[in-house]
Amino acid sequence: MDFESNYDIAATSDFIRTHNFTRVALQFPDDLLKDSTRVVAVLRKRLQSLRESDITVSGEETEIGLYVMADTAYGSCCVDEVGASHINADCVIHYGHTCFSPTTALPAFFVFGKASIGIADCVESMSQYALTNSKPIMVLFGLEYAHSTQQIRKELLESSTCKSDLKSEVHFADVPSPYMFPSKDMKKLSGIQEEACGCGNNSSSDEANGIIYNIGGLTWKLPEGQSMEDYSLFWIGQDNSAFANVVLTFNACEIVRYDATKNQMVTDLSQQRRILKRRYYLVERAKDANIVGILVGTLGVAGYLHIINQMMELITAAGKKAYTLVMGKPNPAKLANFPECDVFLYVSCAQTALLDSKEYLAPVITPFEATIAFNRGSQWTGAYVMGFGDLINLPQVQAGNQEEARFSFIRGGYVEDFENQAENVEEEREDLALANATEKALQLRDNCNTLIKGDAKSGAEFFANRTYQGLNMPEENTTPQPFVTGRKGRAAVYEDENNKH
Amino acid sequence: MVKFTADELRRIMDYKHNIRNMSVIAHVDHGKSTLTDSLVAAAGIIAQEVAGDVRMTDTRADEAERGITIKSTGISLYYEMSDESLKSYKGERNGNEYLINLIDSPGHVDFSSEVTAALRITDGALVVVDCVEGVCVQTETVLRQALGERIRPVLTVNKMDRCFLELQVDGEEAYQTFQRVIENANVIMATYEDPLLGDVQVYPEKGTVAFSAGLHGWAFTLTNFAKMYASKFGVDESKMMERLWGENFFDPATKKWTTKNTGSATCKRGFVQFCYEPIKQVINTCMNDQKDKLWPMLTKLGCSLKSEEKDLMGKPLMKRVMQTWLPASSALLEMMIFHLPSPSTAQRYRVENLYEGPLDDQYANAIRNCDPEGPLMLYVSKMIPANDKGRFFAFGRVFAGKVSTGLKVRIMGPNYVPGEKKDLYVKSVQRTVIWMGKRQETVEDVPCGNTVAMVGLDQFITKNATLTNEKEVDAHPIRAMKFSVSPVVRVAVQCKVASDLPKLVEGLKRLAKSDPMVVCTIEESGEHIVAGAGELHLEICLKDLQDDFMGGAEIIKSDPVVSFRETVLERSCRTVMSKSPNKHNRLYMEARPLEDGLAEAIDEGTIGPRDDPKNRSKILSEQYGWDKDLAKKIWCFGPETTGPNMVVDMCKGVQYLNEIKDSVVAGFQWASKEGALSEENMRGICFEVCDVVLHTDAIHRGGGQIIPTARRVFYASQLTAKPRLLEPVYMVEIQAPEQALGGIYSVLNQKRGHVFEELQRPGTPLYNIKAYLPVIESFGFSSQLRAATSGQAFPQCVFDHWDMMSSDPLEAGSQAATLVTDIRKRKGLKEQMTPLSEFEDKL
Repeated sequence: MDFESNYDIAATSDFIRTHNFTRVALQFPDDLLKDSTRVVAVLRKRLQSLRESDITVSGEETEIGLYVMADTAYGSCCVDEVGASHINADCVIHYGHTCFSPTTALPAFFVFGKASIGIADCVESMSQYALTNSKPIMVLFGLEYAHSTQQIRKELLESSTCKSDLKSEVHFADVPSPYMFPSKDMKKLSGIQEEACGCGNNSSSDEANGIIYNIGGLTWKLPEGQSMEDYSLFWIGQDNSAFANVVLTFNACEIVRYDATKNQMVTDLSQQRRILKRRYYLVERAKDANIVGILVGTLGVAGYLHIINQMMELITAAGKKAYTLVMGKPNPAKLANFPECDVFLYVSCAQTALLDSKEYLAPVITPFEATIAFNRGSQWTGAYVMGFGDLINLPQVQAGNQEEARFSFIRGGYVEDFENQAENVEEEREDLALANATEKALQLRDNCNTLIKGDAKSGAEFFANRTYQGLNMPEENTTPQPFVTGRKGRAAVYEDENNKH
Repeated sequence: MVKFTADELRRIMDYKHNIRNMSVIAHVDHGKSTLTDSLVAAAGIIAQEVAGDVRMTDTRADEAERGITIKSTGISLYYEMSDESLKSYKGERNGNEYLINLIDSPGHVDFSSEVTAALRITDGALVVVDCVEGVCVQTETVLRQALGERIRPVLTVNKMDRCFLELQVDGEEAYQTFQRVIENANVIMATYEDPLLGDVQVYPEKGTVAFSAGLHGWAFTLTNFAKMYASKFGVDESKMMERLWGENFFDPATKKWTTKNTGSATCKRGFVQFCYEPIKQVINTCMNDQKDKLWPMLTKLGCSLKSEEKDLMGKPLMKRVMQTWLPASSALLEMMIFHLPSPSTAQRYRVENLYEGPLDDQYANAIRNCDPEGPLMLYVSKMIPANDKGRFFAFGRVFAGKVSTGLKVRIMGPNYVPGEKKDLYVKSVQRTVIWMGKRQETVEDVPCGNTVAMVGLDQFITKNATLTNEKEVDAHPIRAMKFSVSPVVRVAVQCKVASDLPKLVEGLKRLAKSDPMVVCTIEESGEHIVAGAGELHLEICLKDLQDDFMGGAEIIKSDPVVSFRETVLERSCRTVMSKSPNKHNRLYMEARPLEDGLAEAIDEGTIGPRDDPKNRSKILSEQYGWDKDLAKKIWCFGPETTGPNMVVDMCKGVQYLNEIKDSVVAGFQWASKEGALSEENMRGICFEVCDVVLHTDAIHRGGGQIIPTARRVFYASQLTAKPRLLEPVYMVEIQAPEQALGGIYSVLNQKRGHVFEELQRPGTPLYNIKAYLPVIESFGFSSQLRAATSGQAFPQCVFDHWDMMSSDPLEAGSQAATLVTDIRKRKGLKEQMTPLSEFEDKL
């Protein structure tokens, strides 16, 4: 495909020109990095020519700086605002797959890329599916196929007129404008999102008598009185995180996928359904956790701070201990450095949040799952929410039946969270408290390995139970030692070590 | 017509010497519930005429339908003894009124947990044995359990009517059969000699064995007959009793007692002459409707029928006559009152078994003395569903103190550790209730020594708990019950309609409560799992779940799933090494199988993480041939820190090794829970840490580097040590007549079972077959067996051991490999096993 059209050079340069941005950050995911120099060159040429045609009008113009950003700290689908602010950029052009999460500070322009698709084959599969299906069909697609939807729609219309026996109607989702401006006010967030951009599944009734759905950049409107369960979903694109997000959010719908690279329909989605069940298990696991590590997985998605605070409150209210950790993209080795955490809560954009934590020492859950797990009395009803905006607006569940102890399916019995238990048991009298403390101090600690997950109530307690307590302080010879020169070199081989590894 | 009121019952509850807490235990179909009926009838709850047919203690519809008991049911009976019959009672008593708290228990192995729960709260047991079938596997199991709990047994040889009506055996033959039954039972009991409990064997001549016909409602002990003849012969009652059993013969011709059969035609054994023959005569006359002979006979025996009863014919007449002459209730109740201990006697020696804390604190003393004024000590052994859907009664026994309506109690759950707040609640009892079969009566309070049901605690007790007074903060809990069966059969359940999920969750919660054994958990894949002891058990549980606990919402259940274990056959073929993600640390390890019997010893707790290292190394070196020093270098057990696998440190002089121990242990707990083959638990593997190379900077050898590496190296060493799957195996006992043997063998063969014992029951045409049968093959086994033997064989399956599957799971196409693939598919894992190269690194 044509390079310029694939990278939307014309629209990009127009966007930069019309808003008069002078420092522009170009964010590339790893797989597109190889094209970055060409993109910059072409873009620069284009801007140059635009300026030359304009210069007659305004007279003076400063040079526009283009900066390439690579290796983002978090998921490459989100706009890396922190990275962009290093160079004081005033806008970000985002290339490749995106989750369309709203930004906090910088305007962003999205270039989805244009993947090739066999339109005729796709239309054929679609009409085939429509023939066998009685429900109306909603067509959703990966953003890289957004460019061809118009054509698919047209051809489908033609084919249906000649066959004219399609039982069900076919609807297409729309792609909103590929640019986005930040919204500062959290209260307004959800409102703005519906008009400008989407994050997760927002639905609201508006004046046009319908419900607007937003997911991963796609929007569509359903007439009044209909819900998504009345539709079948037809997804065009890869089996990627965007698709997983759709499957989870609309888990009550029947979903089929058209794989555009292999030109075939995929109807067996049991693997995708399994994800939902797996998430359900993770929620049950999280209920048993005592220490929760909140992983900050984004510094860009609007409302992330609000969510972190909300989660902190939630966890504390549930009588658990929370620690906030900032570590970029999580991996098993990084998280295993915090063995005291029973569960990690990953605050990030909708599409990176679903981490299959099979390889991890402790499971990683999303904020929505945490809300279910840590709110006593809330139950998993099947609904699934990914975005922050929706979570913030989620109705607060009334504290459930506090009378009953909590049943843990992991342990198969009643367990009680420490906070609630403290209330249950009458406080000991003060004079007894001291006696009890001494008694416990003298209790024989079973010094066998006590690294049982879920026993410690705080990080400090966990460390107190470890067999290795750190280096012993030398008891004698407390006089200051003369300083010694440290080691030099890389961790792999220091200069004073002989190379034996 | 009810002979007693709740008030009356409540009054006797205070006389701790006049209480007997007892359970009825036996093999399936030996007539427990039927016999219990006779006792209930005597207490006046059901009419004497229908006793034996009602099965008062089978309260559930499906129990009545299937004719088996599923849940153990408690019933409190009031019984008044006559002065005369109590004449020879030597123990302490308080008037002639007695309270019998009786618990009828199920006989099917799948429900043994119910028996365990019943035994805990009783002091004595009535062991019922079918006189024809004799002592069966379940008789043996429950007897063992009873003696382990220090429960004194008495025996009744049941279904005597079969001797007279069905088999028509003569006196001497019958005597030999009974003698053998009693001997068999005594053999089992003798192995449990306990100085505190004293001699627990049973002797007919001492009155601890009864002979009964539950269906017809009659029974006798030798005491009955001894009394009758003592006056006639003018000898002492106890002397007469001795003569009625054993090698004592009487010749009516010479009127002489001898200890040997003199060979004369009229010389007969005492038992035959004076007990068996008279009964046989009465029964025969009744059955043949020889009423003219019958009436004088009855007058001689000193019993009279009501006029309308005299019109009965045949069997009903026989039943009525026998019930009047030898009422089951008086024989059995007398035996219980005379020979079973009262709570105050029993708790004196049972306290050691019961109480976990120091045996000299006030709680132990209160239990020992059965002190109603002492602190409350109450053990809840099971939860009983109430009529009010979704609520439960907490059923248990008061060992000390008093529990009353409105009392605030401290609930110590099974995971409670004294001094901590884990698994501990303070709540008040809403209502105290005593249980009378299908009826419940509310009472103000219940003192120690009695069974009780409580309302309002069900939201805090899963299965069992210890209750004490609110202020008794230093009380230790009562020891948890040990079950003889384990939940090895599992099904995954899900609801048909996705939105019923909350209902399912709620239902499973209640199911877990209603049964002492069932375990409701969730799999990694998000499936809800219900685990039970056997197919029948699961079937009942799922029925309860759907009908009672989910209000009929439909559920889908998977085929039964069996959990496997992963083990190794040999030592790793080489020392394997894995590098940490940063490549700066290397762990070297080997795996080898644990010595024979060691895994079982760890299961039983003989060897465990909490042992004194010195003791542990002694046991390991003496019994399992370990090196003494090596035994001290065990790092940990796993999974769950107590499982039957371990890590041993074999390194010499490695720097910083102590620093990474915690990380290796964490990696081990993780790896041993999800083995490399199919993510099943590991079993019987010893991992030896051979060498470790660590980076000099602490930051580069932190948990993040070591934990995942340790996990990988554990997997690598497992895979290099000829990994194998272990499957659970049932011990099956089948009792069947000779002609059914062929069918049994062919079904067992089809199902990969093998017979290891086949015995003919002496004196009967019945064979006793013991076989091992893989659990996975056991589904549908009993119905297939019934079909193949035209209903003559009925199997009892108990989990026995883990058996190694000989085929190599790493060899494509082998049986084990197929199994591994199936398990992985079910769990939603990649169908291909992760290859060794993913876990092992090269230098």
